[in-house]
Amino acid sequence: MKWKRALYNFFFFSALFLSEITVAQVPADSTAADSILLKQIEQQMQSSNQPAQQPQQTRSTLSFNPDIGVIGDFQGSYISKGKRNFDAYLNETEVSLQATVDPYVRADFFLSFARNPVTHAYGVEVEEGYLTTLSLPAQLQLKLGKFREAVGRINPTHPHALPFIDLPNAYVNYFGEEGLNDEGLSLSWLVPNKKFYQEIIFQATSGQSESPTFFRGDNNRFIYLGHFKNFFTLSDNSTLELGLTGITGPNDSSRTTSIAAADLTYKWKPVQMNTYKSLAWQSEFYYGHANLLDNFSVNSLGLYSFLQYQLAKRWFLTARYDYAQKPYNKKIVEQAYSLTAGWYATEFSKIELEGKTTDDTIDKRFYQAWLRWIFVIGAHGAHQY
Amino acid sequence: MKTKTIIFIISCLGILSFAKAGTIKVVTTTTDLKSITELIGGNKVSVSSIATGYQNPHFVDPKHSYIIGLSKADMFVTVGLDLETGWSPQLLASSRNTKIQKGAPGYVDASIGIGLLQVPTSANRAEGDIHIYGNPHYWLDPLNGKVIARNIANGLERVDPSNKSTYESNLQAFYKKIDEKMREWKAKMAPFKGSKIIAYHNEWVYFETRFGLDVVDFMEPKPGIPPSPSQLVKVIKEIKANNIKVIISSPYFTTSSSDVVSKQTGAKELTLATSVGGFESVKNYFDVFDYDVNQLTATLK
Repeated sequence: MKWKRALYNFFFFSALFLSEITVAQVPADSTAADSILLKQIEQQMQSSNQPAQQPQQTRSTLSFNPDIGVIGDFQGSYISKGKRNFDAYLNETEVSLQATVDPYVRADFFLSFARNPVTHAYGVEVEEGYLTTLSLPAQLQLKLGKFREAVGRINPTHPHALPFIDLPNAYVNYFGEEGLNDEGLSLSWLVPNKKFYQEIIFQATSGQSESPTFFRGDNNRFIYLGHFKNFFTLSDNSTLELGLTGITGPNDSSRTTSIAAADLTYKWKPVQMNTYKSLAWQSEFYYGHANLLDNFSVNSLGLYSFLQYQLAKRWFLTARYDYAQKPYNKKIVEQAYSLTAGWYATEFSKIELEGKTTDDTIDKRFYQAWLRWIFVIGAHGAHQY
Repeated sequence: MKTKTIIFIISCLGILSFAKAGTIKVVTTTTDLKSITELIGGNKVSVSSIATGYQNPHFVDPKHSYIIGLSKADMFVTVGLDLETGWSPQLLASSRNTKIQKGAPGYVDASIGIGLLQVPTSANRAEGDIHIYGNPHYWLDPLNGKVIARNIANGLERVDPSNKSTYESNLQAFYKKIDEKMREWKAKMAPFKGSKIIAYHNEWVYFETRFGLDVVDFMEPKPGIPPSPSQLVKVIKEIKANNIKVIISSPYFTTSSSDVVSKQTGAKELTLATSVGGFESVKNYFDVFDYDVNQLTATLK
């Protein structure tokens, strides 16, 4: 029987050796490896009467598919003016695909199937699609593609992750409902400061995406953005973030619009009970200088400020104030107050109800309300702090 | 004379700075990993932990300030198994430090080689916060501490091969101490073998299995879902039916629902240490079990 065993061992190990070589040479072609595996299994089954201690080759269930997540955003809305006051719609379906490409870069795609608020037609667009380097020297990181730009705190955040349903008036006036989301490159540098966190971001984009402020002309002008982020740890339980942003680019009259922005965020989250209690106070200020005609430019100001309080593990209350001068006519001023109550069932679904009252200098006061249900399936990326 | 003093001071400073530059900077996600890294690394390492010992390790806020330490680290140690999935991958990606990225020599997954419990057969979020690789609270079995220590020692030896002998001898000392303490803990817990208890969250399975306890039910109806009135009624019935003496919880859960159950049944609420630093007196990995075993034995008596 000894020769039988020796023969078996010879076949088994040569098969194993072959499989190693095959896998090493053509990792993409799994059929060759599969057929060898099949042979091995057959051999193992034939020799199952011998309780030999063969290395068990188990099939791994791992795959190179990216992390896939789908976020649904269903909304109902009310507005006190106009003919149609109530509406219900699947506001957005966001599909995220995220993975590392190779040892040097990772890729993130966010595809948005959204409803156009004006035409009510559903369309698909790449909300974001970019690669990020993993191994640049000197604490640098490069991002390339289409991305939400680094203006303060609201713009880089996907709307479903915000603690309110509508966007602040001033923000919409300058950057639109979609935000400043453009194509180009972003280079960020982590300042080697041991005391507190500092990051400097520089972005240059083509102006491809529509925004109320910037416009893609048929010349070689781009949108440039600089952001300086400072993050201070005040205590174990509280932090303060101060950001400064400057943006400049061509507008629709082929002249230049510049925006200076500042963001200030205070957060209190007791480390021990951080899932039960928290408080955040976040404000952003925008100052726009739009050169619209020869010898005619408009300076405008806008801001929002909100206070979010977590009442219990699942309950959040957010009060916000908006002040916004229209970037093309500073005499038109909007002021709004809103209150949002959020019930966060789990990390994967939340229901929010918001009421808002708006005054402006031309129309009479109007009221709005929204109800939205956000739900996530699949992989769920981490939220920014 | 003056020049000699100056030379002496300069050389002292030189040695000091050299010694400082020579320590391996390690960032761990939790305090237990920090404690074990310090025990294995001794004076060759300087270690900091992102989470504190009294904080829920699932829900650490990924503050930018943590990136500073990570950007300078030579080694990163993680509990792994998706315990920290909500915060550590994001911090690692922002650190711009290639030495500690997944797959790099300085990346240590402490769970390699752990005999996992409660590995789900299906991934279904209807069951609450389930962990697709298995229950990640494995450090609460002291014998798993040995596996963690081995993984950490492997990491230190990859990053700093010149001090391999130190790490190996510290590792042997750690093994020995775990074995010694294990006999002591086992002896203390022996009279309470099979004791039925209630736990707040499903994080005690490794502890329970090692020390022969029997967690009958949880305050949470499903992992991560806060206690509901119907769950409390169910738990109260179970406590009464089985004469259960204790409800165990962790420092980062509210006691309001346990208070209700305790009042209704007379079962005692006990907040145990789930990590180093959970309480003032829990200063290292061994203290976690000293604390928990002493608290439990005193209550179950």
